[in-house]
Amino acid sequence: MRGGTVVTMTAIDVKDLTKVYGQVRAVDRLTFCVRPGQVTGFLGPNGAGKSTTMRLVLGLDRPTSGTATIGGRPFTRLEEPLRHVGALLDARAPHGSRTARGHLLALAASNRIPARRVEEVLELTGIAGAASRRVRTFSLGMRQRLGIAAALLGDPRVLLLDEPSNGLDPEGIIWIRELLRRLAREGRTVLVSSHLMGETASFADHLIILGRGRLLADTPTKDFIAARVKPRVRVRTTEPARLREVLLRHGHTPVESDGGRLLIDGVEIDAIGPLAAREGIVLLELAAEEATLEQAYLDLTAAVAEFTARAPQEA
Amino acid sequence: MSPAAVLRSEWIKIRTLRGTAWSLLAVFVLTTGFAVAGNAATGDSEADSPGFDALFSVFLGLNLGQIAAISFGTMAMSSEYQGGAIRASLTAVPRRGLFYAAKLANVAGPALATGLVTTFVSFLGGSAFLGEAALGLGDTEALRACLGGAVYLALMALFAAGLTAVLRSGLAVLSILIPFILVVSLVLGETSGSVADYLPDRAGQQVLYADPPGELAPLAGLGVTALWTAAAVLAGWFSLRRRDA
Repeated sequence: MRGGTVVTMTAIDVKDLTKVYGQVRAVDRLTFCVRPGQVTGFLGPNGAGKSTTMRLVLGLDRPTSGTATIGGRPFTRLEEPLRHVGALLDARAPHGSRTARGHLLALAASNRIPARRVEEVLELTGIAGAASRRVRTFSLGMRQRLGIAAALLGDPRVLLLDEPSNGLDPEGIIWIRELLRRLAREGRTVLVSSHLMGETASFADHLIILGRGRLLADTPTKDFIAARVKPRVRVRTTEPARLREVLLRHGHTPVESDGGRLLIDGVEIDAIGPLAAREGIVLLELAAEEATLEQAYLDLTAAVAEFTARAPQEA
Repeated sequence: MSPAAVLRSEWIKIRTLRGTAWSLLAVFVLTTGFAVAGNAATGDSEADSPGFDALFSVFLGLNLGQIAAISFGTMAMSSEYQGGAIRASLTAVPRRGLFYAAKLANVAGPALATGLVTTFVSFLGGSAFLGEAALGLGDTEALRACLGGAVYLALMALFAAGLTAVLRSGLAVLSILIPFILVVSLVLGETSGSVADYLPDRAGQQVLYADPPGELAPLAGLGVTALWTAAAVLAGWFSLRRRDA
């Protein structure tokens, strides 16, 4: 049962978490668990409640009701929390007139983290060369790296990163992706928020999706893709009118596309090929086209937006 | 959490902010500069005029020096409220009471140390020009003024720090306190024996006189300033403890 113990030591547990600001329910009866050993993508459009949830987990904001714990304890009860939990909330956090090294040294000192660890994380995040520069002179990407350096200071088992790839160049985005995967392989709990599905799905093993403060999905990434990404078939023929008529007769809804192609949603190739063969229609092209992941995600979050648009008194 | 570690962390924060050292230097330069330049210019020629006070005449510069002390206290606290610094700080030290106490200790300590150097140098430098009228460090009032003046500067810095924790903006605090000290107090300054005697700056400055003009005794006056400071610090604590960061 060793594995079981490790899970409970570092899992992030959110139960019935609710945060109300005036009339707005920023987080609404949220319940989920973030497990170690994998990257969990925390998705939702801007204003869905991702950052608020992270602040609630870190004890920065007080929940209206519900609880958030890390390894079974509220964050604020942790002794020397940087050694357990690393967080990147806001790249603007370091004061502009401090040097990167000064910012990290102050954080490290409070949790009795040795100064040499500051040099290590500066190296690890690729900003060692700029360590003595004032943060004011940093680009957004460099500030982001400094924020990640701060999160890694205490070599924590749990990481919460709010939009870490924000402002990074393409090379930086690949770097952060590899870093997150490596941290998860080392058995750490990694929660990473983003509003971009395509990017997140490329490195997250698990997805937690929010919309208007509510939980919309809590599922392995591959299950989400399997369940939500509808198949689509692209076909080109010498007799478009007849194929169209045949498809309609069999309950499909072909849509005309460029170059005389037809697109048919919600079917597999194996259904269309034999059908055309039976009717003796010549096919010049028959291919599966996956509707994008981004579309599936937008469909999911749009459903919530539509619900709220129809019931404005809920807002 | 180790209080010593948190104190050290806050000390690093004070040290690594550019403006803090400058503001403390300004406390010293403004106060001692006025003490020396002012008294060098007039010498003991004023000594017989009715308003003359051999102690306050060397501490005249403290009126400007305290603005620098207020800036120091404000800056130390307001740096947490620029960007999301307070969130990074409270993620490292979630015990807000410990964080706040360590911050205030690192305002009070440097302000008091700077204050002591400032008041003693002002006294010795200023008195050198007063001839017969000058007091010596052996005089109770003089020693009281030097020590009390330093405490006064530390209290004003803490007062500003507490107020900054309430308003969460250095600019707001400075645009309230500086006009207040420069204008309100100077305008009301002549009318002693009124509520003006109980304002935080007027009350505490009683300790700087050989013959205090106000209603309050020197140490009682400093006590009134300490009460103002305690109120601001407490208000700051309630604000930090209750509000979302």
